[in-house]
Amino acid sequence: MTGPLRTRVPLLLGVAALLLVVVAPFYYVIVSSFKTPQEIISPVPSLFPQSWTLQHYAKLLQASNFPTYLANSLLVAAGTMLICMVISTLAAYGLYRMQLPGREFLFRVILVTYAFPGVLLLIPLYGMMSQVGLIDRLWALIIVNVTFTAPFAVWMLRAFFTSIPVEIEEAATLDGAGWLQILARIVLPLALPGIASVAIFAFITSWTEYMFASVLIVSEAARTVPVGLAGIIGQYQVDWGLLLAGATVTMLPVILLFSFVGRSFVEGLTAGAVK
Amino acid sequence: MKQTKRSIWLVLALALATALLAACAMATPATPAAEAPASAPEDATAPVEITLWHMEQPPHRVERIQQLIDEFNAAHPDIVVHQEPQNWGEIYTKAPAAVAAGNAPELLFAIPDFTPILKDLGKVQPMEEFVAEIDERYGYYPAAVEPYNYDGHTWAVPLYNMAHSLWYRKSVFAEAGIEPPTTWEEWLAAAEQLTTDGQYGIGLPANKHLYTDQVVYDFMVNAGADEIYNPDGTLRFNNPQTVEAYDFYSQLYRFSPPDSPNWTWGEAEACFANRTCAMILQFTVITTYDTQAEGDPEDLGVIPIPHSASVENSGTIAYSNAVMLLTEDPAKQEAAKEFLRFILTPGNYGRFLNMEPGLFLPVTEAGSQDETFWNDPLAVKYQSQIETMVENAQTGRLFGFTNGNTFPSIAAISAQNLLAQTLQMVVIDGMPAEEAVAQGQRLMEEAISQ
Repeated sequence: MTGPLRTRVPLLLGVAALLLVVVAPFYYVIVSSFKTPQEIISPVPSLFPQSWTLQHYAKLLQASNFPTYLANSLLVAAGTMLICMVISTLAAYGLYRMQLPGREFLFRVILVTYAFPGVLLLIPLYGMMSQVGLIDRLWALIIVNVTFTAPFAVWMLRAFFTSIPVEIEEAATLDGAGWLQILARIVLPLALPGIASVAIFAFITSWTEYMFASVLIVSEAARTVPVGLAGIIGQYQVDWGLLLAGATVTMLPVILLFSFVGRSFVEGLTAGAVK
Repeated sequence: MKQTKRSIWLVLALALATALLAACAMATPATPAAEAPASAPEDATAPVEITLWHMEQPPHRVERIQQLIDEFNAAHPDIVVHQEPQNWGEIYTKAPAAVAAGNAPELLFAIPDFTPILKDLGKVQPMEEFVAEIDERYGYYPAAVEPYNYDGHTWAVPLYNMAHSLWYRKSVFAEAGIEPPTTWEEWLAAAEQLTTDGQYGIGLPANKHLYTDQVVYDFMVNAGADEIYNPDGTLRFNNPQTVEAYDFYSQLYRFSPPDSPNWTWGEAEACFANRTCAMILQFTVITTYDTQAEGDPEDLGVIPIPHSASVENSGTIAYSNAVMLLTEDPAKQEAAKEFLRFILTPGNYGRFLNMEPGLFLPVTEAGSQDETFWNDPLAVKYQSQIETMVENAQTGRLFGFTNGNTFPSIAAISAQNLLAQTLQMVVIDGMPAEEAVAQGQRLMEEAISQ
């Protein structure tokens, strides 16, 4: 075995192991969603469907309210993402650039709020949402999701703003630019990878949120995917095909989002890690 | 980099557009899929609105309930009922929160150990007069009403029963040359004989989960240990019959698949459907057998659960599912009762039960003879099995609600799955049944005292 090959073998084995651990379950879920009910529960699992069927997708999209759940989840996740991006960008930039007294303390307080267990807020938040008439409204979920994602997003963005030389902003100030102009024309373009990271973080957090969605939402029409999917599977019986088809469709928006901004997300994580 | 920036701006633009759409959509209240009525104007001629929360979320059940609601609404222009399906997983948190915030539905489905939690919040209405009316018309099975009778009132209206039976493959038994078991001795011998290459004699759970609680209680009932409480409310879980039940469970468990410690109902059904398990204890969801197994009614055996030599007859766990009335408004109360009368009327009731054929069993004598119950295609196909299930359900019991005694503190025991936890000490930790049961009683006493 030559030198380069000897070094490559462990790497290739590592990649193979990773694929097996990470990709295999996703592959199995997706492929099994095209199998017949009998084949899905067969004691000897098959790698490929012996007879392809779309019956689970037909049931999911026609006989259940899954399309409604999907639309609601998209609205909540997109709304959370947008609001979180705006709030956390302004807050992070403001806290970093403005010479506020107790700035460091504020940053730490924000991090503490992120670390606070959400379940402890469940009942008080239900009461608050009820008082303002937001029970069974998607706005309630957006507000809650922003509450839990924005603090960490502020910390993520702080690393990006730190990396931008202050001299650029000082030069813009000398040219007569105001805070908002500097932010819009200079800082934001340079911090785009960080903002993309925040966007993906907020979207995925909101997309997978279960606890508040299960309690604050009561009607079928306002239910999101995680809660709706858990419900249509059933308690004393499990429709495995429906479950697998639902899981497959649920993955699609996240995969699409990553296909658009995945590279920036990686750049963002790396930048955040070293600066 | 240029391409990346374009992508990011594209995503931002899409997010903005979606959020704007969301804002528009959310400016108006969400409209339930089942076409909820508009907010009632403060008008004496406006229809009375009733919201029903139930936990039967699979799409075909929601559809069946909606059919009945549509018929009711069409026949009663002065009343509008709409359903909001919920999940059993969250209802223990969601319902009390909704009651406390004043957002509770008028009607809420329940099982016996859920009712005391809501009753303690002071909104559940006594229903003994209505239950007596239905009893007079259709003949309630007393065992269905019993778990809801305490503190001088009946706190819910029974709607359907669910009971465990022993499921087995007739062909597998015939091939092995053995008869379906009726006693524990025969059961153990059958499980041992049927455990061969690729097949396990029986599938038994050991998860710390409600399914395990239920199966363990099947064993307790059939050992004569169905009473967890003494009549004075003290615990009598630690007794020789309970020990016998746990000990026998551990003997049978040797013939169960290695992954069964993680099972809930679905995994047990799958094991039976794919012929890995020759027997299981299960509620009777006919649709699962019909779609996931071969769907051959001639091969599906459903029998009472075998019993120990110390008791005479088989028993089983049974859940009398009911509905609670949560409104103090007299007009809404009367409208809700009218809807329940409609559901329990033969002709409607059979169709209501057959939202899940075989699983939901009648709680009234008239319901047991309802043609719409027996005319369902699946009920016709599996008639003999369903007849056995209905019969089994009559011998059903539920821990904490036995022999006319109702102990609401059982909710603390079932919420923590302490029957299952005690079983795990025996079948997973290898603790002798006597020690585990004694430890189990200590855990229950702690749970009740908290």
